Amino acid sequence: MSNRIYNILFHTHTISGIIISLALYVIFFAGSFSFFRDEIISWERSESISEGWALQEMDFDVVLDTLQARKGIAKTDVAFNQHYDEQRTSVSISVPKDAEVNEDKGRRGRGGRGNFFYMNTQDLKTYDYQESYSFGEFLYRLHFFAQLNFFGRSGYLLAGIIAFFFLFAVVTGVIVHWNKIISNFYIFRPNNSIKNLWTDAHTALGIIGLPYQFMFALTGVYIIIGLTIMSPAIISYAYNGSQEEAYDDFGFNPPKFEFVGRPLDNEFSVNDLLDRTEEKWPEFHVHNASIFNYGDENMHVQFTGKSDFNKKFASAGTITYRVKDGEIVAEKSPFQDVSYLDGARSVILRLHFGDFGGAGLKLIYFSLGLLTCFVIISGVMIWLVARDKKHVSPVKRKFNAWLVWFYLAGCLSMFPVTAFTFVMIKIGLQDPGDDRSAFIFQTFFWSWLALTLLFTFIRSNAITNKFTLILGGIIGLAVPVANGIVSGNWLWVTLRNGQMDIFLIDALWLVISISAILIGSKMKANNAEEEPANHAIPSRKSVATVD
Amino acid sequence: MPANKKHLTPTFIHRFSRITAGFVGGYFVTVSFFLALSFYFDKASVLFTLVFGGFLLWVALMIIAFIAKSGWKIWGIYLLLTLCFSAIVYLNQPTPTI
Repeated sequence: MSNRIYNILFHTHTISGIIISLALYVIFFAGSFSFFRDEIISWERSESISEGWALQEMDFDVVLDTLQARKGIAKTDVAFNQHYDEQRTSVSISVPKDAEVNEDKGRRGRGGRGNFFYMNTQDLKTYDYQESYSFGEFLYRLHFFAQLNFFGRSGYLLAGIIAFFFLFAVVTGVIVHWNKIISNFYIFRPNNSIKNLWTDAHTALGIIGLPYQFMFALTGVYIIIGLTIMSPAIISYAYNGSQEEAYDDFGFNPPKFEFVGRPLDNEFSVNDLLDRTEEKWPEFHVHNASIFNYGDENMHVQFTGKSDFNKKFASAGTITYRVKDGEIVAEKSPFQDVSYLDGARSVILRLHFGDFGGAGLKLIYFSLGLLTCFVIISGVMIWLVARDKKHVSPVKRKFNAWLVWFYLAGCLSMFPVTAFTFVMIKIGLQDPGDDRSAFIFQTFFWSWLALTLLFTFIRSNAITNKFTLILGGIIGLAVPVANGIVSGNWLWVTLRNGQMDIFLIDALWLVISISAILIGSKMKANNAEEEPANHAIPSRKSVATVD
Repeated sequence: MPANKKHLTPTFIHRFSRITAGFVGGYFVTVSFFLALSFYFDKASVLFTLVFGGFLLWVALMIIAFIAKSGWKIWGIYLLLTLCFSAIVYLNQPTPTI
């Protein structure tokens, strides 16, 4: 590689990296916790999935009869969606099919936009979106900046652009590092200059995490903005402007069944159809059940899902029954002849969500996610240290130092803030009437802002690092305690009851907190290499505040 | 260690031409390339590949634009490629039925 190309790519790697660093850290930190989205939700609600949870274990006949009695679902489409491993499923009920005669009134009247709520598959209690909002959901949505959707989907777009430039940074980083990829892998010079330390850490861990990071960059950019960026051209030029046609080809559109308007004569049982499906495909996980034209002569029932990951890694399956005679009118086996489209899509999703190996795999994913956070931080540190030279103008050095104080304060305080929110939702969010999302938003974002400002103005990266770890560790130790006191789910209780999801969260916090305290207490708070020397002396008072 | 300045493009306009060539031009080439392919292979499969794999091609085109000797030249090449692929797409458009 010529010197010219090397330097150009080095520069693009540096610039793209430093621009996305803070946002990318947030994505990886929140994303790492999102692997445990479902476990966090079980922990929050004390609704362990060990007590049963899956959609296909639900008694559909009872549920549909209840819904018919309570809400009147005749002539509507009802869809149950359960994309996550939790006790609740979402339920949406369409507008009655014959309501279109007086369209104006029908749209605005009861259930004009249909009806959407959550239902516990075990005790059939229902909840609206607000009552079902959770910290697991919050962290999950934070990792693609859903909270920044101020203008349309601006948050998603931002997350997508960050992911795209992350992909760019990963590729240019590998090219830049190419010639030294093997020799430098074994080099670690902790006692050499501080710049060497950061560089060795950045490159070695970057190479270890490379497959993982590359995979996340690519799958992430596809999931969050793939269609937004690419589909307008596809629809205009390959499908003659017909979105309907394009989505049919991509398999996004639900099937359509005409509403006849004559009531169904015979008795029917959705449970029977589900039993038949399970008999046919024993390792099929149903995550969507759709009932079309409830109670009509042309009523249909469709189950959609995927195969167990032990049986087949990537697949999508669906089966549709006509209720009148119980005939299968359409089927796509999740075990045989999986199409390229379904296979590619489910491989991407499986890889991204890490749902193909149980809790052990998720823990590995989680550790690799935190490792990536470290790679991001070390990259920022290289950037800073390499520019902290005598020939760089003082104004620039001052700006760089402030920037990194702010970056580090923002990034590293996410750890204590997350721990704090975990504790607060146990202590302060038990009343079912509470405004759950407002409480979680305010707890998380205000404490994040406060800690970020505090650590920025202390102006010491060493102090930020040491005390975010210690603070996060101490608060993190309170997470299992709060769960024990408020919900009675002490670690030994959940372990004995086999509520492994709740146990996992408490145990995870215990391990993280103890390691964080141990590491934090071994760190020196007054690093001699503090950037511009004249700013490095932190006041005693600020240290006391943090401690 | 910051990259050696003598190898970097000095003026704003040169840098601007490269960034836009890679980001905007790269996007046009990527999309038109896959669209053109979609008329010769299985349509849905090619287009779905665009939705995830297109980003890889786009990144590669961005890198090429950055290491090119001239930003305007690479703009020209990308436009030419886009034109070629677009011509294929245009010729394959179904004639509208009246």
